[in-house]
Amino acid sequence: MNRNNFFIHLALALVLILVAAFAGQLGRWRKQWRSHMGPVPASEKKQPGTVDEIALSETRSFGSPEVLVKFKSGVSDEAIEALTARLHDRVEDRIENADGVEAIDDLDNADAASIVAEYSKLPEVEYAEPNFEINLEEAEGPLVPVLPHDPQFENQWALSNSGQRGGKKGADISATMAWAKTTGSEDVVVAVLDTGVDYNHEDLTSNMWTRPASIAPYHDNELGTIDDANGFNAIDNAADPMDDNGHGTHCAGIIGAEGENDLGIAGVNWKVQIMPLKFMNAGGSGTTKDAIEAISYAIDRKKAGVNIRIISASWGSTQRTRALEAVIRKAYENDILFVAAAGNSSTDNDRRPHYPSNYNVPNVISVAALDRNDQLASFSNFGAKTVAIAAPGVDILSTWLGNEYEEKSGTSMATPVVSGVAALVLAENPRMSVDELKKKLLASTDPIVALKGKTATGGRINASKALD
Amino acid sequence: MANSKNDAVENARRDLAKRLKVDAADVKERSVEDADFPDMALGAAESGEMSGQMITRGWRIQLEANGQTYEYRADKNQLRAFKFKGKNHRV
Repeated sequence: MNRNNFFIHLALALVLILVAAFAGQLGRWRKQWRSHMGPVPASEKKQPGTVDEIALSETRSFGSPEVLVKFKSGVSDEAIEALTARLHDRVEDRIENADGVEAIDDLDNADAASIVAEYSKLPEVEYAEPNFEINLEEAEGPLVPVLPHDPQFENQWALSNSGQRGGKKGADISATMAWAKTTGSEDVVVAVLDTGVDYNHEDLTSNMWTRPASIAPYHDNELGTIDDANGFNAIDNAADPMDDNGHGTHCAGIIGAEGENDLGIAGVNWKVQIMPLKFMNAGGSGTTKDAIEAISYAIDRKKAGVNIRIISASWGSTQRTRALEAVIRKAYENDILFVAAAGNSSTDNDRRPHYPSNYNVPNVISVAALDRNDQLASFSNFGAKTVAIAAPGVDILSTWLGNEYEEKSGTSMATPVVSGVAALVLAENPRMSVDELKKKLLASTDPIVALKGKTATGGRINASKALD
Repeated sequence: MANSKNDAVENARRDLAKRLKVDAADVKERSVEDADFPDMALGAAESGEMSGQMITRGWRIQLEANGQTYEYRADKNQLRAFKFKGKNHRV
C-alpha cells in the first residue's frame, strides 16, 4: 500500500466510525424524543414494579433471564436462592457493577411483565425490571409495561397474571403492555346493556356517561320525553338506570373502573364513558321487549351525536327472536359493535344455539370464558363456528353495589373484557368502522390449546396485539 | 325481596301446595342444598326470559308430595319452580 492509498483508507475508516457514532446518537435522540412525546406511563412516580425511560421489546431470546431484580440490602444470598427456588426460578447471574442486581431466569418461561409483578410484590425486593433485548429495530416502539397503583390490581389476574392463586403466569390479556399504548379515551362510549350500573360507585363515577347539554333529552313517540341524564331504564321507561342487582356494575367495572386513582381496581380502560342501559331486574333477568327498547335508545342517542361504538351484552337465552336480531342489525348499520356472552351451560352453541350471541349479524362477537390457567371454564359454552373468541371469566374481581368489590364468574365477565379491549382500540383508532374493529379483535389473540376446535379463533383476546 | 334459605323453603312448600291443590302440611322437605346455578335465572328461565350469564349461588330445594319429587331453585332475590309439568315458573 503506497502512502496515498494509506491516507485514503484511513480517511474512509474515520468516516465510517463517524457515521456509526452519529447513527448511534440518532437512536438515542430518537429514544429520548419518544420518551417525551409518546404515551406517558402512569408509572412516572417510578414505583417498584414499573419500568420507564428505556424502550423495550416484547421479544426475548429463548433461555435468557427474564427479569433483573434488586433485592434489599440485608437479604442474604441463601434467602435469595430459596425465594427464587420457591417461585420455580433460578438466579442466573449476579451483576456486581449494576448495584448487585440479580438476573433471574423463570423456568416456566412466563412473560416478563408477570414475573416483574410477582417480584415487585415481595417485601425483600427493592425493584424488578424485565430483561428485554434492546436493538435498533426494537427501540422503535415505546412498549413499556405499565402497572397501575390501584390497590387491588394484584388480584386482577385477567389483566396481569403473575401466577397468583395457582394460576398460570402470562395467562392474561396483556393489559400492562396495552396500557403503554393507551389507557382509553373519554371520547369512546360503551353501552352496558344489563341490570343498570351503580353510577355512584367510587371507582366508576368519573367514567360514567352523562348526557351533554348539547344533546336534547331522549324523545320517543310512545314514551314521550325522558331526561336521560345518566342513561336509560327500559323496565320502567324512565331515566334512572341505577343497578339493583350488582351484575351490571360488575360488568361496567371490568370495562372501565377508573385506573390509577388509588382506589379498588383498574378497568381494561382507565378512561372511557360507560352508558348504563337497564333492562334486567333485581333478579338479573329481563324481557326481549325491554332489551329491544334499550338497544333502540342507544341507536337513537348515536344518531343524536353520542359516540356509542359498543354494546356489551352479558346475558342471553336459548330462544331466538327475530325482533331482537333486527334491532342488533340496526345497531350494526349504525356502526355499533355488539359483544355477547356465549352462555354458561357447558354446551356447544353450534348444536344448541344461544342468543343473542348466535345471531348471524356482522357486528356480533360471541365470547367464551377462560380460567386463570388458560382452560375453557367448566361452565362456558363453546362452538367452533358460532363462538368467536375467549377471554378471562372465572374469579374476576370487579366493582359491586355500594362501593364494594366482588369476584364473579361467567361468560358475563368474559364479555366486558372483550368490550373493554374494543374500546381501547377505538381510543387509538376512533375512525375505525365496526367491520374493521371486529376484524382487528378477532385477529388479536393468543392461541390456546384448550380452545382448539372450541372457538372460531382458538384464542384468548390480547389487548396489546389489538393495538398494534 | 331478600330471601333467607328458610324463607325460600317455606315459600316453595306453599307454592307447590297451591299448584298441586294439596294442604301445605302434605308437602315434605326432602333436601335443601347449596348450589351454583349457570345463570341469574338459576338455570330455570321462563319462556322468552333472558338472564345474566353469571354463575349464581343459591339453593336447590327438593320437595315431595303425592309420591313425587319436585325441584325449586332459589337465591336471595328469587324463587323458581324448575320444570314443573315441563315448564319453569318464577314464583
